[in-house]
Parts: sequence; C-alpha cells; structure tokens
Amino acid sequence: MRVPVIDLGSQWTHRIWRTLRDLECDSEIMPPDVPFAKIADADGFVLSGGAVRIGGGEDSKIAKCHGIVEKFGKPIMGVCAGQQFLALHFGGKVAPAKMPEYGNVEITVAEPDDLFAGIPRKFAAWASHNDEIKEAPGFELLASSPACRWHAFKHEKKPIYGTLFHPEVVHTQHGEEIYANFVRVCRR
Amino acid sequence: MAFDAARFVAQKTEELKKYADGEAIIATSGGVDSTAAAVLAKTALGRKLHCVFVDTGMLRKGEAETAKANFEKCGLDVKIVDASSLFLSGLKGVTDPEKKRKIIGECFIRVFEQEAKGCKAKYLVQGTIAPDWIESGLGIRDNIKSHHNVGGLPKEMGLLLIEPMRDLYKDEVRLVAKELGVPSDVFSRQPFPGPGLAIRVMGEVTRERVDIVREACAIAEEEFEAAAKAGKMRIPWQYFAVLLPVRSVGVQGDVRAYGYTIAVRAVDAADGMTANYSAVPHDVLHKISLRITNAMKDKVNRVVFDVTNKPPATIEWE
Repeated sequence: MRVPVIDLGSQWTHRIWRTLRDLECDSEIMPPDVPFAKIADADGFVLSGGAVRIGGGEDSKIAKCHGIVEKFGKPIMGVCAGQQFLALHFGGKVAPAKMPEYGNVEITVAEPDDLFAGIPRKFAAWASHNDEIKEAPGFELLASSPACRWHAFKHEKKPIYGTLFHPEVVHTQHGEEIYANFVRVCRR
Repeated sequence: MAFDAARFVAQKTEELKKYADGEAIIATSGGVDSTAAAVLAKTALGRKLHCVFVDTGMLRKGEAETAKANFEKCGLDVKIVDASSLFLSGLKGVTDPEKKRKIIGECFIRVFEQEAKGCKAKYLVQGTIAPDWIESGLGIRDNIKSHHNVGGLPKEMGLLLIEPMRDLYKDEVRLVAKELGVPSDVFSRQPFPGPGLAIRVMGEVTRERVDIVREACAIAEEEFEAAAKAGKMRIPWQYFAVLLPVRSVGVQGDVRAYGYTIAVRAVDAADGMTANYSAVPHDVLHKISLRITNAMKDKVNRVVFDVTNKPPATIEWE
C-alpha cells in the first residue's frame, strides 16, 4: 500500500509519515510541487497541515497541488491546512477562524462514514489552526467541535476526506484508527 | 507495526560502518539522544570515534558529574572541554531567543572544530532527532525555534554531518538506547535542551541569572522526583524552572522586597511534539514555591506555575 504525504509545512507532517509507516504503508514525504508522475501510481495520499494561511490568500504558494488533486482520482485525506485547501479547490470558502483552536477540542461525530468507523461519537482531539472552512459545497459534514463546524468532511462523490484537527498527534484519541480507516479506503 | 529498535540498530550500524571511512567526533551532553548516538557510533566505528563533553557554563547543578558517571556506565571515553567563558562572552548583551540559539550553535561548532583538528576528524556525529529539524524549519516549514544542532549550525562548517537518528522521536530513541545496553537511569532521563540554562533565563544571560535558574531547576527537579517516588504523581515527561525578567513587589519579614519571578513548568508528552501541562498536586507546588523563595530570598519573591499546553506554547519558553 503506497500512501505518500504531501508536505504543506506542518510541524506534524513527519508524525503523519510515522503513523502511516506504523500502519505498514510504504510512505514518503513529498514537497507540494512534486511532479504528478511521482505520485500518480500511489494508492492514496495525505495532504498535511502547514503554516500557509489558506484563509489569508496564501494558497498560491502551493498552487501546484490543485493539479494533483484534480488529476489523482484516488483517495485523498487533507489535514488542517490540507483540508482547507481541499475545500477551496472544490469551490468552498476559507477565512480566519472566528475562534481559533490550539490544543484540546471536543469532537462530535455527526456521520461515522468510513473515516470514523469503530470510533466513539465523542472524543478528544488536538487542533492548531488559525483559519477555518466557512463553506464547502459538494462536501458532507462528518464532525464538529463546539467552536468550529467543519472539523471533518467527505466529498459527496469522490473518496476525498479532510479533518481540521490532527489525528497524527499522540494527544488525539483514536488518531491512528482514523488513519487506519483512511488506509482501508485506499485499499478498496 | 511498532518501531523495531533491534532492526534499527543493526541497520544503522551497518550504514555507519560503510559510510564513515575516517575519524569522527561526537559531542555528548550526557542526555538520552547524544548518549544513544555515541554508543551506536562507537559500536560501528570503534576507536575512530572521539567523544567530547562541552561544559557550556549553562549546565544544571551537578550535570558535569552526572554526565561523567553516565559515560562510564555506557563504556564511553569522553574528553571534557570547559568552554564556559566562550559561551558566556558570546551571549553578552543578547536578549533575542533566536539570536541566543544561533550564538550557542556557533560556539558549539567552534569547539568541535578545534577538537576535530586534534583528532583529525572528518565527521561530526550528532544525536539530532526529528523535533530538532522540524522545529528549526526550512523552506515551507516555519521556524519555531532553531535547535543548536540544526538551525543553530553555522553555514560554513568544516565537518561532514552524520545524524543516524534524524527520523526518531524521544520515545523511539529511548528504545534504541535500551537496545544498545544504555542503563535505564540514563535512557529515562528527562529531556534537557542543548542550549542549556541559557534559554531558561528570559532576557540577557549573565552568570548571576544562570545561577538563579540553576538553583530553581535543581529544587523543582528534586521535588517532582520526590513526589513521584512517594506516589503522589507520575513523573512528568519534562519538569523545570524558568527565570522571568519581570520583577514584582513582595514583603519579607516586614521588609519590602522587589525580586524576580520563577515560572515552574511540568508537562506530559510522548514525543514532545504535543504536550499538556501536568496535573501537579498542590502540596508539591507549595513545597517548590516555598523552597525557591526561601533559598533565594534576595533574588526571587514570586513563583508561578505554567498551565499552558503545546500548542499554543512550546515546552521550553525560548
């Protein structure tokens, strides 16, 4: 199972890589301007978080990712800035969060779907975001926190997922299971 | 599948044997990362490895002695270099945390280069682990803080770097150290930053301020360890004291006081990339506060406890 991570510059990109490696995936960290040929044959990929302010018009720094998302056609999971980028790519709106969240947030799952299968409907996760998704047309809401609505989503037609919180950090409960669920989607 | 320390050690030993064709130098602080790296490198390179311990003048109370004893336990022959005046004079008048870290990184390299000449070393082995280069930033990744062994390294350096543990986190390094036969009191030591007490003194680093924070750290460490031993709490992942540049008014024996503030920090973590402040029983905090303010009454008249997680804070203050 080959599941690379496209690195948007998160403090936790390497944690995503380590989690995927622990799940016995063949993974590697790739830059956001990676040529499409290098990722085309992967079974899925994760778009990491990062310091780029998607809600501040900085997505031009990672503009090449639009092409990758467009052409890939297989499962993608975006985390934090990666999730926001996916929303933007499909015509959504991202802006500075009304209430940014750093550290512990309480996640309530609205729709277990594939990503939260076998996981409690409420769990503690850690986030670290300045921006948030305001609109995500074409996406189904999967989970929220009290301060932020779009904490997890799934595309209505494509195997494209995203979380605003970070399942790859040890302080997030059931984080590895969430990645295991995504890897299961990649295996289909 | 979880991390396999035995496989890692075998693989890295093989790689090192093949790669390093000359003498190598390693700086060991006596901490988990550099001790593991030194034992690993010694297994691979044998007599070609030269170990150096740099006394930066920013060490904790009794650190040099503890380190020496630990090196012996690990079978490492280590040369002790006193460079405290170099570090102190380099830091004179500097208050910016990033500048401090860069100066310290550069001082370390100057010492290594000097020592490398003596043993004709071509390589510098470092116990760099993942959070060091992640937090140092590069390209698209923001610089959070420049770790002395990565972002603190000067651009011009006459040594080739070997960092066998770059992809590991602290929990994995402890497994590697255990696998290498490092005693448990060494591999379970709490992390201590390479720049030492210099980044636990907010503002300018002077001998006097380092002495204050050194004593406060010693008291905090003793009390946390005693409380854990007595079963009052679990030993935190990291626990220490920070000297704040803020002074506040107090009253000591009916006399007005105007002294510094010490912040006590204790966090729980696994890999140091996220951390929560530890739940410390009030009597433990009380004892720490009492001891610090009594023992250093001329300098410190207020103690606070840091209740911030990472993120948004980092574990250390600078």
